[in-house]
Amino acid sequence: MALGPFTKQDHLEITTLGMEFAVSEILCAGAGYWLDQRWGTAPWCLVAGAAAGFALGLYQILRAARQMTQDNAKFKKAEEKKDGRR
Amino acid sequence: MDVAEIISHHILDHDWGVTLAGFRVPVTTHTVTLMAVSLVLLLGLYWISRRHQSRAGRLLTTLTEEYVSFIRDGVVLPNMGPEGRSFLPYFCTLFLFVLFCALAGLIPNMKTATANISVTAALALCSGGLILYCGLKFHGPIGFLKGFIPSGTPGWLVPLIFPLEIISMIIKVCVLAIRLFANMLSGHMVLICLLLIIFVVGQMHIAAGAGALLPAMGLELFMTCLEILVAFLQAYVFTLLTSIFAGSVIHTH
Repeated sequence: MALGPFTKQDHLEITTLGMEFAVSEILCAGAGYWLDQRWGTAPWCLVAGAAAGFALGLYQILRAARQMTQDNAKFKKAEEKKDGRR
Repeated sequence: MDVAEIISHHILDHDWGVTLAGFRVPVTTHTVTLMAVSLVLLLGLYWISRRHQSRAGRLLTTLTEEYVSFIRDGVVLPNMGPEGRSFLPYFCTLFLFVLFCALAGLIPNMKTATANISVTAALALCSGGLILYCGLKFHGPIGFLKGFIPSGTPGWLVPLIFPLEIISMIIKVCVLAIRLFANMLSGHMVLICLLLIIFVVGQMHIAAGAGALLPAMGLELFMTCLEILVAFLQAYVFTLLTSIFAGSVIHTH
């Protein structure tokens, strides 16, 4: 499948995705670690938090990819319409 | 010579510890820089907004008008649509504030306030507040919450997707803060490390230190120019990302 053309916003979102993945992983693992300290359940909440963070990061990437694909399809349709009119 | 101590002294905030009538006033290098930048912007923009007879004054007024047009036509309107027009003052302030904070760090004896996570977190919180306000203003509380559910989501997936989307939005705001903080911090760390090359090499032999002087200063000059570019770039990215997130809340699919 051909990717692009990417807009300026797409580029910015792509550069943000990596950081979003890292932040979601750190936040969820951190929350799991905090719960472990509180409840004395080490290391289970940390493991569950890290897994949840990974899933959240993946979800964000998949959602962004779907959004960009939809935007691309809309853009291509609009371009085809323009060409048809010419 | 303790390299780590020198780097942390250059980067970290310093509390001057002023106590007035038993009340501790948090005067730190970063708060002083923030105050100085705010004062310069306030007085400078007030002066520019007045009617000028001098050529320089008119030039500055024209430049500021161009700047506002750029933020309006290049950042706010493409991402937020006509609804974003009322938020233009916020974006103009945000860009200038982030830019001047970063540029202030390049002046000797001043610090980059945006290399402090508390400052960038406060800025990101302001942007988060704006995003929240946009959603509530244009869609109401129920419509705003409904906007978090992507179209075409099966009913049984909604309880799973909804919290994920809420956390995603919070993470996006966190990323805004971390991106600016990391860029500013790393830039200044590289600057001080390049300078330290001279002294570290000079400790081995004084002639080697003298030899390292020219390449290190050349790299320092290059990095300082790069820092000026990064200051503009990060101010633009912070403003643009805020407008994109606010726009995505206003125009939900």
